[in-house]
Amino acid sequence: MEIEVSQEKLSKALNNVSRIAVGKTALPILSNVLIRVEKKKVSLVTTNLDMAVVDFLPVSASKDGVITIPAKLLAEYISTLPKGETIKLVAKDSKVTISAGKYSSTINGSLADDFPELPEINEKEAVVFKMGIDEFKNSINQVVIASSTDLTRPALTGVYFNTYDKILAIATTDGYRLAEKKLIKNVQSEIEVIVPTNSLQEVLRAIDENMEEIEMSFNNDLVRFRLGEIEIISKIIDASFPDYKKLIPKDNNIKLTLDKEELIRDTKLAALFARRSAGGSIVLEAKKPNTFSIRSVANELGENDSIIETKVEEEGKINLNSRFLLDALNVIEEKEVNLEFANRINPIILTNKKSSDYTHIIMPLNS
Amino acid sequence: MYNIWNNILASIEQKVTSDKFALYFKDTSLLSNESGHIIIGVKNAFFKKQLSSKFYGIIEEAIKNNGINPIDISFEIQTDIKNKVRPREVIASTPTLVKDIKKSTRLSNTSHNLKPDYTLENFIVGSNNDLAVAAAKSIIDAPGKRFNPFFLYGGSGLGKTHLIQAIGNALLKNKPELKILYIPTSDFYNDFIVSVRTGKGDEFHKKFQKLDCLILDDFQTIIGKEKSQDEFFSIFNNLYQLNKQIIVASDRLPNQIETLDPRLASRLAQGGAYDLQLPKFEDRCAILRAKADLAGAEIEDKAIEYIAENVNTNIRELEGELSKILLMSEVRGITPLELINSGSTSISKPSHYHTVTSKQIIDKVSKYYNITSKELCSKSRVFNIKNARQVAMYLLTTELSLSTTNAANEVGLKDHTTAMHAIKKINSDIKLDFTLREQIEEIKGQLYAA
Repeated sequence: MEIEVSQEKLSKALNNVSRIAVGKTALPILSNVLIRVEKKKVSLVTTNLDMAVVDFLPVSASKDGVITIPAKLLAEYISTLPKGETIKLVAKDSKVTISAGKYSSTINGSLADDFPELPEINEKEAVVFKMGIDEFKNSINQVVIASSTDLTRPALTGVYFNTYDKILAIATTDGYRLAEKKLIKNVQSEIEVIVPTNSLQEVLRAIDENMEEIEMSFNNDLVRFRLGEIEIISKIIDASFPDYKKLIPKDNNIKLTLDKEELIRDTKLAALFARRSAGGSIVLEAKKPNTFSIRSVANELGENDSIIETKVEEEGKINLNSRFLLDALNVIEEKEVNLEFANRINPIILTNKKSSDYTHIIMPLNS
Repeated sequence: MYNIWNNILASIEQKVTSDKFALYFKDTSLLSNESGHIIIGVKNAFFKKQLSSKFYGIIEEAIKNNGINPIDISFEIQTDIKNKVRPREVIASTPTLVKDIKKSTRLSNTSHNLKPDYTLENFIVGSNNDLAVAAAKSIIDAPGKRFNPFFLYGGSGLGKTHLIQAIGNALLKNKPELKILYIPTSDFYNDFIVSVRTGKGDEFHKKFQKLDCLILDDFQTIIGKEKSQDEFFSIFNNLYQLNKQIIVASDRLPNQIETLDPRLASRLAQGGAYDLQLPKFEDRCAILRAKADLAGAEIEDKAIEYIAENVNTNIRELEGELSKILLMSEVRGITPLELINSGSTSISKPSHYHTVTSKQIIDKVSKYYNITSKELCSKSRVFNIKNARQVAMYLLTTELSLSTTNAANEVGLKDHTTAMHAIKKINSDIKLDFTLREQIEEIKGQLYAA
C-alpha cells in the first residue's frame, strides 16, 4: 500500500475518523484506523462496532493495499507535521513508513485480517432522504438536548426518525421533556427508526463549512449518513419509541408570546437563586391584564422576581426546572417564543412564534 | 435449546482468542434451530456482519460438533434483550461456559441468585443470633425502613449466607415483583472489572440502581479493590436514597476492613451491625437436633450433647460432624451413641474442659501477647500489657468460673472492682471487635490443645 497526499487533507481525514477509535477499546485493533487503497480510491475506516466512520481521501498517487495503524498516534503525528508538506505513506508487512520532507518515521501497525468488516446498506431496500446540511445540523442540535443517557431505557438514548402526514420528523425525550422537529415535508417513504444520539453527534462533528448536503439511508438495522467525503454508518436501536404525540397537551389555555432574549435573561436570574434548591425550580406566573413574572422559589440565598409585560388572557402559574427551560430557549431560533401552559397540571409547550416546525415540552415540577 | 447454544459456544471458545470471544459472542443466543435452520441472535448490524463473514466457518463447525447438521445459519438482531426471552439463567448455571460469558450474563440476569433452600423457617434461632434474626424479620415486614443498611457479621460457618438469603427469599415470597439480587462481593468486583474493560460501566451501574434489594455477601473480600469500593459506594448511596434495602454480610465489622473508605464504613454501620456468634452449648444441641430431625435420623440426646460439646468452631463443622456420624452409624448398623462410645469418630477425644489451671491461662495469654507472665501480673499500664491482663481475667472467670476477687488475685491485683471492670469491658468488646474475639478463641484453642 502506498499513498501520497497533502498534510492538510490527511490530517483532516484522520481527525474525522480517529475520534471513535480512541480510549479503551474491547479489541486492540479497534483503536486502529484501516487504510485501504483499491483502484486509486483511498479510504480511512474506524469502527467501535456501534458505528463506523469512513473517509474517502483524495490523493495524488497511490498503490493498492491495506493496513491498520494506531489511529490516535497517526492522527497526532500527521497533525504535528508542518502544513504544506506532501506526505508519503508506504506499508510493508505490518509496518508503515511515513516520509514528509525532512521528517521520516515508522509506525508499527497490524494486518487488516482482524479488522471488522463493515455491514453494508442494502441500497435497493434503503429509504433515502436528502437535505441541506446546515438545516440538518440545526435540527439535530435542537432535539439532542432532550435525549436521555439512561442506558436502561435504550429507546430514549436515540433520536426517533419517524414519518406521519408525509412529514419526516425527529423526536427525543428523556421522560422529563420532549423535543420534536419537523425535518422534511412531503416525503413519500415511511420510516420509524431510532438512531443512537452518540452516532448523530459524531455526524455533527464531521460537518464542515464546505459541505452542502447530507444523505441519510435507512435500512432495517442500519443507517448511513453521507456528507462530503465522509460516510458514517451506525447501528439502529432495536426498541420502540413511546407514542410521543400523545404527550403533547392539546388543552393548554394560557398562551403567551414573549421576547426570547428577555425570557432567557430573566430565567437565568431566577436560576441563580434556584440553583441550590431541589431541581433548580422556578415559578412562571401569568396575571391579568399584562403581567408575566418569573421568580425563584424562596430559599436560603434570597429571592428574585422579574416581570415581563405582555398580554395575558388567562391566569395561572407553573413550576419548572430552570435548566430545562434554558436548554429549550437556547435552541429556539426565532426572536419571539410562544409559551403555552395550563395552571400547573399540564406540561408547558414552547414553540417559535411563526414557524411550527419545532415543539419543545417540559414537565412541570411539583410546587 | 439454550443448553445447546452453551455447548456450541464452548466449542467456539476453543477456536477463537478470548478477547474476540468475549467481544463477539457475549450477547449471542440461539433463537431457533428448527429442522436445521439455525437462527442466531446478535447485538447489532456490526456484530451480524462479523459473525456472518469472519466467524461463519467456526460457528458452522461448532454446530456440527454438537450433533446438529445445519441447513443454513442466519443472524438476527436482538438488541432489546430485556424484552425478549434470553438464556440467561441457564447460561449462568452451565459449567462449560467461559467466565466472561457467565459474568456478562449474570450482570443483566433478571434472576436473583437466591437459593430457595435458605429460609428463615429452617434457620435455627438461639441466643447467639436472636438479635440478627429479629432485625431480619423486621426487614421482611418493612424493607428499606429501619434496618437499612443491614450489616451482618460473624465468623465463617455461622450462617451469614443462610440468613441473608433467607431474607431475600422471604421478601420475594411476600412480593414476587421485587427486584432482588444476591451477589458475592467477589462476583461484584469481577463483574465491575469486566464492565469497565468492555466500556459498560454505566450499564453496570444502572443494573444495580434498578434493584429493590441488594444482598452482598463476603464483603471483606473488597479489601484493596478501591475502584470497586467507589462503585459500590455510589450504588449504595443511590439505593439508600431511594429507600431500597441493602444487606451486607462480612466476617468482620466495616471499620475493621482494611482499606475501606471510612465514610463507607460508617454508612454501612448506620443501620446497625448485627453479629452471628458461635452458638452456645444449648444452641448447638438445638441445631443438631433440628438437623437430625430434618434428615429423618434417629440420634440419642447423649450423642447430640457429645457432638455439641466437642465441636465448638462453627455451625458448618457441627453439621458436617453430625452428618458424618449419622452416615457411619447407618453404615455400621449401630446407633450414633454406640459409635461415639466405640471411639471410632474423629471427635472421640476427651474434653480438656476441667484440666486447665489458672497458671496455664496466665502463661498462654502472656505468651500470646508476647509478654512475660511477670509483666502480665505487674501493675504496668502499658496498653498491650493491660489488655493482656484483662483478657486473662476474662478467661479466668469464664473458663475456670473464678470469682472476680480470685481472678484479680491471680493477676496480682488487690482490687476486685478492676477485675469486674475488665471482664465487663471484654464482654462488651467481644461483641463488636472481631479481632479480639478471634484472639480469645485462639488462646482458648491453644489452652485446650495443650
